[in-house]
Amino acid sequence: MTAKTLVTLEDVGLRVGNTVILRRAKLTLEAGEKIGLLGPNGSGKTTLLRLLATLIRPTSGHGTVLGARLGTDDVFAVRPGIVMVGHLPGLYPELTLGENTRFVARLAGRAPASADQALAAVGLAGAAGRRADQSSKGMLRRTELARVLIIEPRLLLLDEAHAGLDAEAVGLVDTIADRVTSAGGCAVLVSHEADRLEVDRSLRVTDGAVEEVS
Amino acid sequence: MKFLRTRWLEVTALLVVGAAVVRGVTVAADVTQGDVQRIMYVHVPAAWLAFLAFGVTVVGSVAWLRSGKPHWDRLAASSAEIGVVFTGLAIVAGMIWARPVWGQFWTWEPRLVTTALLFFIYLGYLALRRAVIDPVERARRSAIMGIVAFIQIPIVYQSVNWWRSLHQTSSRNSIDAPLRVTLWLAVLAFTFAYAVMLRRRLELSLLEAALELRQLEGSQAVAGAAVVAPSLEKAGHHG
Amino acid sequence: MSFWRQAFEIARKDLLVESRTAEVALMTVPFAAVGLILIPLAIGTDAPLLTDLGPGLFWVVVLLFGVLVILRKSAVDGGPQRDLVRLLGIDPAARFAGATLATSLLVLLFEVLLGPVVIALYNPALDGWGWLFIILPLVATGMGLLGSLTGGVTTSLGTRTSLTPLLIAPLALPLLLGATQALESLERGRSILPWLALLAAVDLALAVTGVLAARPLEEAII
Repeated sequence: MTAKTLVTLEDVGLRVGNTVILRRAKLTLEAGEKIGLLGPNGSGKTTLLRLLATLIRPTSGHGTVLGARLGTDDVFAVRPGIVMVGHLPGLYPELTLGENTRFVARLAGRAPASADQALAAVGLAGAAGRRADQSSKGMLRRTELARVLIIEPRLLLLDEAHAGLDAEAVGLVDTIADRVTSAGGCAVLVSHEADRLEVDRSLRVTDGAVEEVS
Repeated sequence: MKFLRTRWLEVTALLVVGAAVVRGVTVAADVTQGDVQRIMYVHVPAAWLAFLAFGVTVVGSVAWLRSGKPHWDRLAASSAEIGVVFTGLAIVAGMIWARPVWGQFWTWEPRLVTTALLFFIYLGYLALRRAVIDPVERARRSAIMGIVAFIQIPIVYQSVNWWRSLHQTSSRNSIDAPLRVTLWLAVLAFTFAYAVMLRRRLELSLLEAALELRQLEGSQAVAGAAVVAPSLEKAGHHG
Repeated sequence: MSFWRQAFEIARKDLLVESRTAEVALMTVPFAAVGLILIPLAIGTDAPLLTDLGPGLFWVVVLLFGVLVILRKSAVDGGPQRDLVRLLGIDPAARFAGATLATSLLVLLFEVLLGPVVIALYNPALDGWGWLFIILPLVATGMGLLGSLTGGVTTSLGTRTSLTPLLIAPLALPLLLGATQALESLERGRSILPWLALLAAVDLALAVTGVLAARPLEEAII
């Protein structure tokens, strides 16, 4: 483990209900890395992402995320440095895209203007007044990417990174992930389609373990 | 002798319950109410057990939140189940008692009203337990609900008490000494019965947990194992 | 960002969502008003009886139909929204406070809109009505707190809409008695203060439990 290590998992086991997601999983993520996370349907990629986001605790083993030990109250302090974009949008359907983004900016302690700038940066300046439940999947995804620009996280977790996005938006995902890594952060991109990912290295979740894909 | 050593609680409980039954049936009946009054020996101890059982539930809930050890959650759940049964018994016995004495099944006596609410509060607690599948999540949510409910009970009781005092005066009679001894014996008997039931229920829930674990290990339920490559031939052809 | 600032932002978001769905004002209040019309048709419509029953029925309707305010859409965050708020580093207690504030204000709105309906239909005695400025918010706060607490333990459960009323109704009894008996005590020339103290005690006990339970509860939900 080096000073540049952002995430470590040591023999981490994770069980949700009656399903074993991980068994003695090992993982190290360094600063500046862009990681692809692969695996078939139902293999636990999303759950692993939520574990890395400190939202679920490991059932056994140890792990650290941004210096906080998983399963302890230290994780509360590091959460504002993590952005997770799940496969379902983390937006309030009844609020407009602008209201959603400003809500995030205010709670993250950023100026509301930064929300408008971020929306413009993802190409949604003209759609700020549109309700989330009236917007397309691609627009919702772009709104969530605006969240990454506002928070400037050290750990970016993107589930189904390229699902349902047009070519322009796919480029946007990669640009934003690169911004995070070049600022000394780490980005994890989940995808089914290995060939569409431009990443430093890829990991695969199979049979409760995380393996390096060459 | 081994039987006595491992089952001393059951044997003692049987003796005390037996003594209480004999005493409860043979002691002189109440002068004004007659034999009907004997149902007090069921009603009062059952109500006491309701409070004892839910007190144990809250102890288990707090201890689980502090330590996270599964046996505390099992204690809370087991005690609540038994508590609900005795609360129901207390209410039904109270109603059977009330009918000949006051001419109606229900009186708005504060303790009776509180006991009835207690019954529903803990039915809710058990319904909550049933609704959550993950064991840890279930333990945590129900521990908090158990504590919330317990804190509210004295307030519920006090509010009904005040409400009653505004509307009519309390009619509590003192009871004779022989009757009081019988009542204490009945309370003791019920408490022993509760202890036996709690022990058996705990043994049972330990077995349940072991079974759950064995099924888990046996099925090798690793995420992804349930999803395999699709094979359309298996769907067969129609037409 | 301070605790109250976070709570305020959460409450503001909840109320903004509510302003779009208008569940309380346009659905729950009319439904409760219909309830108040139905009751006299079932039990009798003579004026003295209704004058007597009016205040009590108002509070029963507030507490029972008020559960619908607690169950409204804007009180429920889905999984992705919960993840969002948790990762923003919001203190779970501040989230509890914010959600409680929003629900309490909406229950208060519910009470205020339903009041004129009861006055029009039942013609209740209105002696000591000034005390309502204290009683209505105390009851609304109690309902808001019960709503956030039970909302916390029933989050993401399929049976939430049936389970929540069962959990709330028996615990709401002290609120019902506090509200109804306060004004009745005035009428009988007794002190109203014990009842106000009861309402305040319920609110305080629920608030303390809620704040202490907020973090373990939020971390329990997978």
